[in-house]
Amino acid sequence: MAAYIVRRLIWVVFLLFVVTLITFIVFTVLPAADPAVLRAGRQPSPELVESIRKQFGLSDPAPVQFIRYIGDILPFVGHDGVNFGYSYQSNQAVLPQILDRLPATMFLTAGAVVIWLCVGIPIGMISAIKTGTLLDRLTMGIALVFISAPVYFFGLVALYLFDDSIGIWKVFPGSGAYQDATDIPGKAAALIMPWFVLAAAFAAIYARFLRGNLIDTMQEDYIRTARAKGLSERRVIFRHGVRSAITPIVTLLGLDIGILLGGAILTETVFNIQGIGRFAYEAIVRFDLPQIQGTVLFGAFFIVIMSLVVDILYAFIDPRVRY
Amino acid sequence: MRRSFQWTIILGVLLALTLGVAACGGDDDSTGTGEQNTDTSTPQEGKKGGKLISLWTDDVDNIDCGITYYQMGFQVCAATQKSLYNYKPEDAVNAVPDLAESDPQISEDGKTVTVKIKSGVKFSPPVNREVTSKDVKYAIERGFFNTTNNGYAGAYFGDLEGAKVGADPGTKISGITTPDDQTIEFHLKKGTGGVVAGALALPLSAPVPEEYAKKFDAKNPSDYGANQVSTGPYMIENDASGKAVGYQAGRRIHLVRNKNWDESLDFKPAYLDEIDMPQGNDDTTVAARKILDGDAMINGDFSPDPPVLKQVTENSPEQLVLQPNGGGRWVAMNTTIKPFDNPDVRRAVVAGFDREAMRLTRGGKLIGDIPTHMIPPEVPGFEEAGGLEGPGIDFMSHPAGDAALSAEYFKKAGYASGKYEGTESILMVGTSEGVAEKAALVAKENFEKMGFKINLKLVTQDAMYTKFCNSPPAHVVICPNVGWLKDFSDAQTYLDPTFNGDNILQTGNSNWSQLDDPELNKMMNDAKLVTDPQERADAWAEIDKKITELAPAINWVWDKTPLIRSNNVNAQASAFLGQWDLAFTSLK
Repeated sequence: MAAYIVRRLIWVVFLLFVVTLITFIVFTVLPAADPAVLRAGRQPSPELVESIRKQFGLSDPAPVQFIRYIGDILPFVGHDGVNFGYSYQSNQAVLPQILDRLPATMFLTAGAVVIWLCVGIPIGMISAIKTGTLLDRLTMGIALVFISAPVYFFGLVALYLFDDSIGIWKVFPGSGAYQDATDIPGKAAALIMPWFVLAAAFAAIYARFLRGNLIDTMQEDYIRTARAKGLSERRVIFRHGVRSAITPIVTLLGLDIGILLGGAILTETVFNIQGIGRFAYEAIVRFDLPQIQGTVLFGAFFIVIMSLVVDILYAFIDPRVRY
Repeated sequence: MRRSFQWTIILGVLLALTLGVAACGGDDDSTGTGEQNTDTSTPQEGKKGGKLISLWTDDVDNIDCGITYYQMGFQVCAATQKSLYNYKPEDAVNAVPDLAESDPQISEDGKTVTVKIKSGVKFSPPVNREVTSKDVKYAIERGFFNTTNNGYAGAYFGDLEGAKVGADPGTKISGITTPDDQTIEFHLKKGTGGVVAGALALPLSAPVPEEYAKKFDAKNPSDYGANQVSTGPYMIENDASGKAVGYQAGRRIHLVRNKNWDESLDFKPAYLDEIDMPQGNDDTTVAARKILDGDAMINGDFSPDPPVLKQVTENSPEQLVLQPNGGGRWVAMNTTIKPFDNPDVRRAVVAGFDREAMRLTRGGKLIGDIPTHMIPPEVPGFEEAGGLEGPGIDFMSHPAGDAALSAEYFKKAGYASGKYEGTESILMVGTSEGVAEKAALVAKENFEKMGFKINLKLVTQDAMYTKFCNSPPAHVVICPNVGWLKDFSDAQTYLDPTFNGDNILQTGNSNWSQLDDPELNKMMNDAKLVTDPQERADAWAEIDKKITELAPAINWVWDKTPLIRSNNVNAQASAFLGQWDLAFTSLK
């Protein structure tokens, strides 16, 4: 197992390098706008643009810029510790801004995960057990609506209905409430709508996925054997059926958490939650390459790490898996 | 169960339609009167105390007042800094002394500008000491450092002896001298003292203590902005070391009172105790509703969408101010590419263009007047150029377009049919973002009505500016989404970057029409050397008329910024900034 983890960590480093290189190529070699001219403002004389290029190292050849960036982000190589560069726009260091926003994204993700697991898993199980009934059709129909409705639309509808300042039923704190809140209970209250909005589609997906898996699992021979041995139906379902059917959910969960930790862009934008997703959106809109690279690197990091965590968990969940 | 499922779908569709219509902005004309609610009256006495919330969508371009070059950064700096000169809210034309104690003295030859500064003005904590002329010298010098790269230092202060864009941090400018603690002199290579004096109203002239700031300016990029000190009535909340904890990039700006500010040395009343500017309010419809229905709020860096504007005008006009902002928008025609190298073709286009339809895309009459010449209201030279009525140029006199007059000009240009007869595809590059996209589509339609075959390319705004319209090698023929804002109250800042042939750049070009008329260029270069304010206004008014006659662009609106406030806010608009004036705003 230890050797497996070491091999995977080496692979993580390689993957992050490749992601960084691709991002760099996309935004440097094939740019949509000239960052030096953007930064120069409304009267970008050639001298000013040249000075800005030198200031941000943009006049160096692309490979030099890339090597310098890699050197800066490696902890024992760059002269400033781990340095993700500075925003072309605001001059602020990128890494502290990402770390500052990380708690908001983690809080949003954690709450949404809890809700979608608590809702999606039981609904999937009930649907699988009561296949073909009215309850099954209703739950899967609602799941389809939640999967189909874009998060952005769903979020705006939620604000329109429940925002405590402009909603029809003034129930929950709305857009911008998270950054106004100063304590954990306040922040949690501000995240109630975002949690449900973000969790809705995932709960629906997980419910449908578990339903399908469980239906297949319950057809297996060993389930028939368990029933033949006289085990109660509850024991057959939970001890044998669900345990087997839920292992792919673990993989899905790990990847989804990894993706969301890189930023739930739409939810954070609609509800004005200053997390990594919003930061990434602002970076793209402003064409701020250091910010873009920083958020992409962070997002990729969480995805590959969660993928590794999930694979390790598998060894504990499924005794057939050995590394 | 089935019925409730159906109702869920129906409700969802209805809500989507409602939101979709609101998001699209509709196409109805405003029935409000565009001339009302322009509040430039003398500020009223306000109530001291309280906290104001200003909702923003995005961050300032830069929190450092020595770097920022956009209105929202200027708004924050106007509240936190005392530049040498500033503007009272009701007067966009005449700057008044702020840190200075009197008007600037300009020598006869225009090569020396002398300013006396007030005694007793102090920096905020942790610097705490009295401001001297050396602090103003350092403030302007740092604009030229290669760790700050101020966007207008070279444009307005580049004639200072010894000034060089991209200088190393700490480089002195020999042309700025400080004979004593209260006197600063600017020595220029050319007689451009008139424009330098006007530029002293920009935040670059706000003092910066060198002994405190130099360590921040030595870093690349400078992080003085995140550790700045203030001289104005407000400051960004900071800790004991000076770190601006009230500035969270991309999230919030929080201003508190500067305890070292002396109100007897300032014309600003500074009623409020705190000003909070949370950012990220991207859904401007939601943000606008919060302001209108809420408490102690104003809008920051966004304008309400056209449907919200219409609603406010009809239901609560007292919560709306339409503030001319010294800016305008136009459709630029490339005068170096056929057929727009022919002035009569350009005049024909302007004559036949429906500028009211363009204005409708942004909200109709409410958002500004249809121009009759170039210089916008509230900028010196506007009245001298003819004011709202204009100089009487025929092709500028029909806001909805005049097909007959357009045909006359096309015939003069050699197109007997009265429309353009060419068959080539003409490249137009516009922006794909927001209401500006609609303006691009309306522009395309107008050109096509006149016989042009238009190839419209829609790109992001940044790409439009940096890769296409601002880049002459891209050979874009028509740029429908361009415009300009004055930097300070001088028509040079409006006309020179945009229509002087000497300012055509191969990248970052703002003379989108690439107008290069030698006589016009000479008029502008001569006007730069005029020092008397009235003579400058007269000179630039003449230039305005000539530009208008050459018709390089279809000037379709003199902008007004719609400003909204909650009912319990006594918000004062700044005629200079075209935004709320935070130092004059109070709660009821």
